[in-house]
Amino acid sequence: MLSVAPEALARLLWFAFYPIVMAPVAGEEYGRVFCRSLVALPFVVLIGIFNPFYQTEAVFTIGGVTVTRGWITFISIIVRTLLSVQSLLILVDSVGFTGLCRSLQRIGVPSVLTTQLMMVYRYMTVLLQESLDMTRARQARGYRGSNMSLNMWGTYCGQLFLRTVARSERIHRAMLARGFDGSIPVLKEDRIWKGKDTVAVILSIGVLALFKWGPLPTFFVFNF
Amino acid sequence: MSHHFIEFDDVFFSYPGGQEALQGVSFRITHGEKVALLGLNGSGKSTILLHTNGLLLPTRGTVNVGGIPVTRRTAPDVRRSVGMVFQNPDDQLFMPTVEEDVAFGPLNMGLDSAEVRRRVTDALHRVGAENLAKRAPFQLSGGQKKAVALATVLSMEPDIMVMDEPTAELDLRARRRVADIISRFSHSCLIATHDMDLAHELCPRAILVSDGRIVADGPVAEVIHIFTDLMKEK
Repeated sequence: MLSVAPEALARLLWFAFYPIVMAPVAGEEYGRVFCRSLVALPFVVLIGIFNPFYQTEAVFTIGGVTVTRGWITFISIIVRTLLSVQSLLILVDSVGFTGLCRSLQRIGVPSVLTTQLMMVYRYMTVLLQESLDMTRARQARGYRGSNMSLNMWGTYCGQLFLRTVARSERIHRAMLARGFDGSIPVLKEDRIWKGKDTVAVILSIGVLALFKWGPLPTFFVFNF
Repeated sequence: MSHHFIEFDDVFFSYPGGQEALQGVSFRITHGEKVALLGLNGSGKSTILLHTNGLLLPTRGTVNVGGIPVTRRTAPDVRRSVGMVFQNPDDQLFMPTVEEDVAFGPLNMGLDSAEVRRRVTDALHRVGAENLAKRAPFQLSGGQKKAVALATVLSMEPDIMVMDEPTAELDLRARRRVADIISRFSHSCLIATHDMDLAHELCPRAILVSDGRIVADGPVAEVIHIFTDLMKEK
């Protein structure tokens, strides 16, 4: 999908079939996946918002309104980002975050990266709990409303950082005590690669190749 | 390692800030002994425990485990024999699932998958947590976390077990279970605790630490008596 030219919006839209079809297969509603993918929208808008200002070459006109190349590429960036995020969400929902990290490790992604991803996932809740504890402690003794001053925010973040460092040291010790040498060994699963797995891989590659290079009808009467 | 003993010989240790945590600590724990390590907060109990498997190294003096002096080089070997249960199970349980966490130690020991699975099943059975195998550690209650933290060490089948506050923050039922597990462990055991009942129940011997020094070492009832007097003084 990334290799599709920014202007080839018509071809890009075909890739929407992948999350739409795969979401029910993974036991998800596509509507829910779509809504969750919108979290990425503000970031991607920030990335592409300047395109209409720099790429001012007119591509076509609709009812007297000229559409420039900048607007086309802007929409293209939004579409491909949302589709990528949706595919990733479906993948994580179906195999689980740790399953994904383990698979990444198996295909050669450095263990330092996958280990950190797993640690972030594991300790996100603990960090959240620590920050909640600190918030409650402040509220229990705070008599000046719920807003925190900038000064207080600085102290709060500093304390959270110190707590995180102290905890990371304790965790590292616990890991060392059980033989940690820089990589996290993985217990091999009993799952066996079956014929249907091969069929699924071939089918996925085939469909994506069709979207990329195949003779597909376009949704638009115009060509960019 | 034929004799599972721990020997501290005139051990001194200072933290990077310059705070002297241990000042000439000497004791010996022989094979099969269960010893309680008593003392007030900040007296040096946890520091002593961290020395038993080379997580901290003495600034002076020696620590000897089963005939091997604990150094930076020998620490990985020593850790195969000394299993350590940390005070806060959230520090100890870092893998995504309980099963993987219990398997972490045996896998690092280079055991094959079948043996690792056998040990995981056995360890979870011993702590009564078979039904938690596929759960995420952060979803467990405090007692369950503590039980699983014990299982992560039991799966390594250590010759010596050191534990930091094993019954802290546990309700009566969870505390009973932990006490039962410790009582069934047949090898050497060093337990830092504030739980005098636990010390009395499980450990015939106790060591009292105060300000980084050993002030009493002997039968648990006598040491608890001395400890009570010490608390009154402070």
